[in-house]
Amino acid sequence: MSSSRPRLEVERLSASWGRTPVVRSVSFTVQEGEVLTLLGPNGSGKTTLLRAIAGFERPTAGTVRLDGVDLAGVPPHRRSIGMLFQEAALFPHRTVLENIAYGPMLQRRDERDLRAVVERLSALLTLGELLDRSPLELSGGERQRVALARTLAARPRLVLLDEPFASVDVEIRADLHAEFRAALREFGATAIHVTHDREEGFFLGDRVALIFDGALEAVGPPQELYGHPGSARTARFLGYNVLEGAGGPIAVLPDDLTVVPDPGPGPTYTVRAAGLVGRGFLTVLEGAAGERVDLRSDRPLPVGSVVGLRWSRGVPLPRAGPADPRG
Amino acid sequence: MRRGSTDLLLLGAVVAVVTAFALLPAGALFARSLGGSGGSGAIASAFTEPADRAAFRNSLVQGGLSAALAMAIGYPAGVFLGRYRWPGRGTFRSALLLPFLLPSLVMVLGVLDLFGPSGLLAGPFPATRWLASGVPGIVAVNLFYNVPIVVVLTATGCEASSSDLEETVASLGGGPTRAYLETWAWPSWVGAACGGLLTFVFSALSFAPPILLCGDRCTTSEIRVYQLAEILGEPAAAGVLALLLVVGFLAPALAYVVLVRRLRPSRGRRHRSQPPSWGAPGTWALALSFGAVVVAEGALVLAVLFRSLVPSGSGATGRAWTTLFSSATAARLQISVAGAVGNTLLFASLAAGVAIVLATASSFVTSRRPALAAGLGLLLFVPVLLSPVVLAEALAAFWRPLLGGAANVWLLIVLSQGLLGLPFAVQSLEIPLAALPRASAEAAETLGASPWGAFVDAELPRVRRGVQTALLFAFALGLGEFTATYFLVTPQFRTLPVAVYELTNDRLFAAAGAAAALLLGLSVVVFALIVASGVDPHE
Repeated sequence: MSSSRPRLEVERLSASWGRTPVVRSVSFTVQEGEVLTLLGPNGSGKTTLLRAIAGFERPTAGTVRLDGVDLAGVPPHRRSIGMLFQEAALFPHRTVLENIAYGPMLQRRDERDLRAVVERLSALLTLGELLDRSPLELSGGERQRVALARTLAARPRLVLLDEPFASVDVEIRADLHAEFRAALREFGATAIHVTHDREEGFFLGDRVALIFDGALEAVGPPQELYGHPGSARTARFLGYNVLEGAGGPIAVLPDDLTVVPDPGPGPTYTVRAAGLVGRGFLTVLEGAAGERVDLRSDRPLPVGSVVGLRWSRGVPLPRAGPADPRG
Repeated sequence: MRRGSTDLLLLGAVVAVVTAFALLPAGALFARSLGGSGGSGAIASAFTEPADRAAFRNSLVQGGLSAALAMAIGYPAGVFLGRYRWPGRGTFRSALLLPFLLPSLVMVLGVLDLFGPSGLLAGPFPATRWLASGVPGIVAVNLFYNVPIVVVLTATGCEASSSDLEETVASLGGGPTRAYLETWAWPSWVGAACGGLLTFVFSALSFAPPILLCGDRCTTSEIRVYQLAEILGEPAAAGVLALLLVVGFLAPALAYVVLVRRLRPSRGRRHRSQPPSWGAPGTWALALSFGAVVVAEGALVLAVLFRSLVPSGSGATGRAWTTLFSSATAARLQISVAGAVGNTLLFASLAAGVAIVLATASSFVTSRRPALAAGLGLLLFVPVLLSPVVLAEALAAFWRPLLGGAANVWLLIVLSQGLLGLPFAVQSLEIPLAALPRASAEAAETLGASPWGAFVDAELPRVRRGVQTALLFAFALGLGEFTATYFLVTPQFRTLPVAVYELTNDRLFAAAGAAAALLLGLSVVVFALIVASGVDPHE
């Protein structure tokens, strides 16, 4: 994250499926060595945006520049943009080693260079035992590690990660997050990582860009975005409840809410469901206007009971919140 | 969908080859027939001339009957093959391709060897003799040749259905009938219909079986075109009839091209074969129908082999082979049997090469430009639609003068065989390619491979079995191709199928049987080699 010139500049990029717009005038930049997470719900246009940057989808408008060069008309194989797919997409007819060596082989890199990069990546991603195996013999997590090694071995100027952990067992996902984060930084890779999982996105990204309905909602470092959601929609996606405070809408985390058994004249909430999550209970409440509020507590609340709420901390939101058609 | 220059270049190459060696010669033939002084008269004659009308009616009756029966026999057998997992299934499926390796002439001899006057079954079951001549004999030959197509395509249709969907229907309380109707009835019948349409086109345009088993009474339009052009010296009438034939068979050809694309499994859709549920009587019926097909095909092949060793009547064991390799036979055929075998293998190999190169290029284009697939599929089907006789006549008229005479006629034989096998080679490649996830090729491209490089590196190796099958189809059709070759061939380029026909036509059945057995042996060896070359474990 040192260079003044962005590695990637995306300007007013739009893309469609037939006549349905999927990406709407999206603009952002990625600095050299930076990992940007593109975070949004399913169907928000993340993957289409990524595929347009890779050159697999033709944008209907806008530009993509890599190191200042406009990529319009440049085919995917000449972009120097590596992509990791949800299903790893390893070549099943090649061994792990051959998969990793595929990019360097196409670049006709010399044997010594090839061996060095394979050794470095094998050590970094603990692939040493797997090099002679067929991809068909690997677990989901191993396949994704090999796919990352294969991508990094080609030394792309930009790495695109399209929900690479989506089909990996949940118990090894956290380990993979850590390995990927370390490998990307060790290699100084510039990357865009797409996910709908906010914990994964915040963990891996130097900055996070939120995308809803094909448009960017907010971009910023994780702690800044999390600390200042900026809009009711962003706040909800990040796990906040949006409540009406004295000075306007306010974003409150479920852990910061407590129950007031006798609410008095203030707003009331009806308990709809409660269940054990981790060490405590997650209770789902419904407000008078039908809005959902999540609450974490030590004890479950009886379903159907009516309670009031108070909060210890909250983030004020702009007044536009209640007018939001989705909120 | 991304577009590049490589796919355009390859598209142009495929279109250029088909245009140069099918569309252009046929167009020139039709234009000459229509434009000549007798053109208008020939058009009127094609509709009024009793022989032309009878030939067209024969084509429809023989084709229709063969297609309907092939679907009725092949559908249950195909269901058993496609839906159930049982020991030896892959081997039997491969073995069913064997009839494709043989010319319909071998089927004719097989039918005669089984049901003919001195056939193996005619003695113990005299009632079966009616299957050896006339329309029943022709239909029997068509069935032996085409039922395996229906079986394999029905099985492919079953495998294109979604097991997840079927299990969902079951989990919602739907019984086997509901699951059939909701999930696999449509794709399985699409497969059977594709087989039926192919059977109809092949049978309606058949050449040797009607001549050998029935004579003038059963002449098809294909034979009529040949008679008009080669025997009666009426090229204009032949050209017009050929054109009407193409127009008339356009609908079934188009239907086949459209329907066969529906047999491709959707990406990510999985079919899981189940072990047969032997408790259900329906399973037994399906298994028996499959067994009946295998036994019938096997009996025909064995009958040909047996008769080549033990001729009927007073012929001594081995006499057929002695006759086949005699100098008298070589003089009659104007080529030695070894020479005919050499020609057969050489032409089939070159034809398979032509077909596989064009099929690979075509598959690459359609994988990158799916919108062009239907149009390209129809274009590649044009040589089959033209029929072997018309294709050969058009090639001979257009290219023979340009190639400088008979010495280069082998090139036209190779091209006609290659083009006739092309649509089937393409299907063998495109079906498995369509099922591959695109991510592999896209990953290769992001690693620096060109679109063509990604296709070759990431996709083709994963459909190795499809490539083998495409090669097998193209080689098989070349090996057994008789009609176009017979029309084009000069004595020094005669092939084994042509020899079988000449010997059968001269009623030298023993030598013809030995020649057919030789062809059969060659086919089995090549077939075994290709199957033994390995099945892709990654598929």
